[in-house]
Amino acid sequence: MIIVKELYKQFEENQVLRGVNYHIHPGEKIVVIGPSGSGKSTFLRCLNLLETPTGGEIWFDGQKINDPKVNIDEVRRHMGMVFQHFNLFNNLTIMNNITLAPVKLKLMTEEEAKENALKLLRRVGLEEKADAYPSSLSGGQKQRIAIVRSLAMNPKVMLFDEPTSALDPEMVGEVLEVMKELADSGMTMVVVTHEMGFAREVGTKVLFMDEGNIMEENTPAEFFSHPKSPRLQEFLSKVL
Amino acid sequence: MEQSELIRKITAAFLTGDRWMLYLKGLGITMQVAVMAAVLGVIIGTVAAFMKISVRKNGKKTILAHIANIYIDIIRGTPSVLQVMIMYFAILASSKNGVLIAGLSFGINSGAYVAEIIRAGILAVDKGQTEAGRSLGLSNFQTMCSIVIPQAFKNVLPPLVNEFIVLLKETAIVGYVGLSDLTRVANQIASKTYDFFTPMIGAAVIYFVIIKILTKLLDRLERRMRRSDNR
Repeated sequence: MIIVKELYKQFEENQVLRGVNYHIHPGEKIVVIGPSGSGKSTFLRCLNLLETPTGGEIWFDGQKINDPKVNIDEVRRHMGMVFQHFNLFNNLTIMNNITLAPVKLKLMTEEEAKENALKLLRRVGLEEKADAYPSSLSGGQKQRIAIVRSLAMNPKVMLFDEPTSALDPEMVGEVLEVMKELADSGMTMVVVTHEMGFAREVGTKVLFMDEGNIMEENTPAEFFSHPKSPRLQEFLSKVL
Repeated sequence: MEQSELIRKITAAFLTGDRWMLYLKGLGITMQVAVMAAVLGVIIGTVAAFMKISVRKNGKKTILAHIANIYIDIIRGTPSVLQVMIMYFAILASSKNGVLIAGLSFGINSGAYVAEIIRAGILAVDKGQTEAGRSLGLSNFQTMCSIVIPQAFKNVLPPLVNEFIVLLKETAIVGYVGLSDLTRVANQIASKTYDFFTPMIGAAVIYFVIIKILTKLLDRLERRMRRSDNR
């Protein structure tokens, strides 16, 4: 579904990604872990071109998307993204946060979008917040809404950029719960996270990134019980 | 100062020959120039702000951005009195419509400052808002219109009203190009009555009251906007 070939990304003098290769298949739940500065967030943000790669190729559904001729807005409709800091639209109600993109892009009528939004809100237990503004919500609620907002576009893949890192500890669970349900429903997911429990339980593959490349890749069971590289062994000994 | 002397001066400054009408006419000129300049300034400033923040695909500045920069630099780097005089005596010397020229000149001047206000207001909106919009497949333009600009508007309104207040007072220099605005009227009356103090104070009070009213309106506006934050 997503193929990454020799992906390089450089910020000024700083080489963040150094030739990443990876192939994401439909239905997979890829969990990316690694120390800070390893390039895992940049890798994720390159997948929907929020960061423009300085080298290499990204293919999505048989189309090379980092090509100037490609309409990236069209491609992004099919790739949901959830951010560390939620990024709900502060000037809009929850309902309008969710319906804005489907209506503006003429994928749904306003009524359809609203109906769909209510259905999704019910799924995460927040339908009573439809008319509230983001500033009145807790972090956990905001992140659940952010997930719903992405889902309203019926994406083929969901990208999560440290979705629980900005949350108070007691709110992490409610967000992971929604993500687990989403995984169970068959969604293709790429998740950058520090939640090792989630990686073990939900991931189909776990990637360890360090120094701008994928150092190790394995099934969760193998990944955590038999880490091969010394860097990963050291990293796991620190976080587990 | 004796009481009768004071009354005589006030009478001379405001009442003799219905002089108070002259102040009102002067205020009319001042307001015409200021309002025209404000409208023009907001239009030019908005365009210049978007020119200035425009970037090419490779992240470099566009030619439009450079043009906006040059415009802002020149306007901020020269006194507005000179700008009005250059406009009146050189560029548009053939026109006799002083109010129009002054309004135009101040509008172009104000546009540079408004551009910076609007640019700052847009940049103050969290980058994550734009990223979220773009990640949903909205175009840059749609993201700007639906998400960034409505939020920037709140940041921009108070400094914009402030700019108008500055503008209103700044128009006092149109006397240099022969317009009888409020300040010049006071000056003219002063030179007729040989009393400078009373007409000047009179004009000052009028400016002060107008601006006080504007400030009050601004306060109310700000309070209303803050309320919508806590819904």
